Amino acid sequence: MNGVYRKQKEKYHFFNLIFLILFFVLTLFCWCPIGYGSYGEVGLIMGMPSWAFIMLLIGATLFVIEWIYLFGTDLALYDEDLEKITDALEQVTAKETIGEEN
Amino acid sequence: MVAVIIITSLCMVSVYISYVAFRKGFTKSADDYFVEGSSLGYFVLIFSLLASFLSAFSMFGMASFGYRLGFGSLYVLTANLVPLGFLWYFMHKKTFLLGRSRKWMTMGAPFGERYGTPMKIVLVMVVLVASIPYIVAQIQGIGVMLEAMSEGIISFHVGLFFVPFFIALYLMMGGMKGAAWVNAIQGVFFSIMVFVLFFFVMMKNGGFVPTMEMVLAKHPNLFQLGWAGGKVWNYPMVFGMAAAMCLGCVCFPQPYMHAYSSRSARGLKAMFLSFGGICLVIITMPTLVGIAGTIIVPGLTGVQSDKIYGLVASASMPDWRAAFAVAGGFTAAMSTVNGLVFGNAANLSVDIFKTFRPQTKSSELINISRVFVAIIMAVCVAIAWNPKTPVAELSIIAFGTVAVTFFALWGAYYWKRATATGAIFSTLVGVSLNVTFFFVGGKAMVLFPQKAFFQLNGFLTAFIISGIVFFVGSYLTQPGKTERESLKLFFHPILTK
Repeated sequence: MNGVYRKQKEKYHFFNLIFLILFFVLTLFCWCPIGYGSYGEVGLIMGMPSWAFIMLLIGATLFVIEWIYLFGTDLALYDEDLEKITDALEQVTAKETIGEEN
Repeated sequence: MVAVIIITSLCMVSVYISYVAFRKGFTKSADDYFVEGSSLGYFVLIFSLLASFLSAFSMFGMASFGYRLGFGSLYVLTANLVPLGFLWYFMHKKTFLLGRSRKWMTMGAPFGERYGTPMKIVLVMVVLVASIPYIVAQIQGIGVMLEAMSEGIISFHVGLFFVPFFIALYLMMGGMKGAAWVNAIQGVFFSIMVFVLFFFVMMKNGGFVPTMEMVLAKHPNLFQLGWAGGKVWNYPMVFGMAAAMCLGCVCFPQPYMHAYSSRSARGLKAMFLSFGGICLVIITMPTLVGIAGTIIVPGLTGVQSDKIYGLVASASMPDWRAAFAVAGGFTAAMSTVNGLVFGNAANLSVDIFKTFRPQTKSSELINISRVFVAIIMAVCVAIAWNPKTPVAELSIIAFGTVAVTFFALWGAYYWKRATATGAIFSTLVGVSLNVTFFFVGGKAMVLFPQKAFFQLNGFLTAFIISGIVFFVGSYLTQPGKTERESLKLFFHPILTK
């Protein structure tokens, strides 16, 4: 049982790490034109400088990946978990209150 | 004057909606007044968060920025905000979960429970200091635009009182319940009006591509990175502004208040995700409208260029349509002032007033909050009286300043070794540096890369030093009783997912 739980946890951390790396790299591209921009004159794509067009495209890609992370995987928080979490946190609060009263 | 009548009518509608929310009895207790009893659904959450951030800056300011500085402006408020989808989720997931369980109402609450009362007070004051330039930017933008739309009949100084009066009125009557609904309706309205304006401006010269080709022929530098001899939109400048805006968004009160107001985890995620995606589309448009404005209304400079959004609308559309398009920008500004003034008033009344006078009743807190709303509005109008800095620059300074609380927030949720001393010193050092840079070297020192700072701008320098102070300060000091006891709650194993 412990082995299965450990494997699940390792899988969770692995996929979380993959998403974090993707988020980090794409954020860097959204914040700076490294690798796709250049100083001076550039060609146009649909009336925009090529780097501006690529930047908007990278933004759209990051949006889709965030969507997948938040709604298409079991890595993020879901409403089914909420009750359990709230109960556990309220127990801590209740213990604190009892401790203070004593 | 058609424009002014339409705008006035819109303000009246806002007041009426808030009044209805108030009369229906939504605002009964302090909990309802401040965070709406964690009751907001998807639609209101998404558009309320959007409207509470998008502002005179995103409409009038970004058009002005595009007009003066070209396509590089897209790095200030479009794709650079898409990372907020995951940044907000990671930074505010615990705000949402702990906020529900602990009944938090203000952004100072998590800092108070994790680091103790002194940090909570420091945070409230820092957020207030950072919010003021942003609120001033909205009031100034509204004054400038009213003067332009009324063709000088309403002077800039009279315009400064116009919308703040309405905002204070409906904010004092309806609390967040009224405010959130008004925000949501305003969010939808200005999103639609941005599309309408974009369409008309581009069609004036035969479509988007022909318009941009005309701009390119006249102002090729607006299409370049590193123009003006490498000074404008060089890579450090792009990175500094993009990072300041995004990190500042994480730390302003709006995501805290909306996390507390969320009914479900799904709603919270949808709200955080949608914001960046909507900005990617909605804010790109006024920026492009500003760039197109260089061939429609040429020759504006400095603070005067903040009028370009209204002037280009007047030049491209019939009077009443132009008025509606500009009214969209007004609603954006109103909802932002609304969210920020409300957030700060709540922080001051709950986090400071109630801390020193715990016996204060719930109804008294609401009244105290109303007084703070009035004071903040009055101070901001007074500062906006002599405008020197354009709306866009004022707003970026505000976002850069509040971003220094990022480390204290991250440490509260993700670093057990974080101490109150580290958090307090890092926040104070970061804000002091930002303020010092502004008074010593003006907006250029805060916003543009400086040789003395290894080509970083003042904001990034202050941000990095603030981070170093946080880590060094925390390692050099021992966690006190509050920090140690808070670990049971903030690092409960159930919160690991």
